[in-house]
Amino acid sequence: MSAPFEEAVLRAVLEPALGEGLLEVGTATGTAYADIAPHRWHDAVGAARDGLGLAWFDWLAGVDELEEGLRVVVSLLAPDGAHRGHGVLLRTLADRSAPQVPSLVDLFAGAAWHEREAHEMFGIDFAGHPGLRPLLLPDGFDGHPLRKDFVLASRVARPWPGEHEPSGRSRRRNLPPGVPEPGTWGAGEAGS
Amino acid sequence: MSGGYPQPERSRGVIALVEQNCTVCMLCVRECPDWCIEIDSHVERKPAEGPGGRPHSVHVLDRFAIDYGLCMYCGICVEACPFDALFWAPDPGYSALDVRDLVHERDRLGEWVKDVPPGALPAGLELPGASEGSQPAAGGPAAD
Repeated sequence: MSAPFEEAVLRAVLEPALGEGLLEVGTATGTAYADIAPHRWHDAVGAARDGLGLAWFDWLAGVDELEEGLRVVVSLLAPDGAHRGHGVLLRTLADRSAPQVPSLVDLFAGAAWHEREAHEMFGIDFAGHPGLRPLLLPDGFDGHPLRKDFVLASRVARPWPGEHEPSGRSRRRNLPPGVPEPGTWGAGEAGS
Repeated sequence: MSGGYPQPERSRGVIALVEQNCTVCMLCVRECPDWCIEIDSHVERKPAEGPGGRPHSVHVLDRFAIDYGLCMYCGICVEACPFDALFWAPDPGYSALDVRDLVHERDRLGEWVKDVPPGALPAGLELPGASEGSQPAAGGPAAD
């Protein structure tokens, strides 16, 4: 009835529009994706929207890829037509020291909130955004909590439920997966 | 869903608990990246059964709670469970006005089992009280 987008379809629309700015096309977990050079980000999203009928802005998010940089991902879906309900992912990698990509707000007004969230959570600057005010974090919050070097206070303050031994079993001390020992975590931890 | 938009295929609703299959192994609690599952239990001694059987201890579930105010719907608990106790059910309709009301205990998690697509449940599973219901047998021929 309704089919996912294939890589070839995505490439056929983006390659003429972007040329060298299209870095890679692939498929992950059943969804076609394209990696875009940061300076062509806005052009890529516009071309996908207009060329593939991807008029439904689904979400935009950041990913901390450590030394590779900060990734911005946008999910665009087709609200109708042969691909109704399916979509593609467009991705770009911003430089970690000064992460900046063009804003998509003029293409999708709804991107404004998502970019505000990615701005506060990852410190990514969206050039051309009308106002990157914090969306979810309280006033005066310091830092970007979804960066991997950010120490989450709740991980320190709250006991890990996995440490609980039901039925009174005894076990060697457990550490939650992915949470390093206290004092070894985060950039400025050594002296604090 | 409201409006004419189709639900994307990745949509997940809620995690249902087949309580009888939970062995209190704690794997879901320990794999959960945002610490939203809490389990408690106690030990009961079971007498020997059958020839050559020995008395043994079993863990009896006292509490199984998922905090949907924390859950990020990654599904790692569903994948981690080796005993077929956790399943996705496509019910998105459990919003609450107070974030504390998003903590759902085992009775509510168990009710969601009826929403799990029958093909997703293990073949031969018999749910308590489901036998006389109008619901088709969860076991049925295994779906692909």
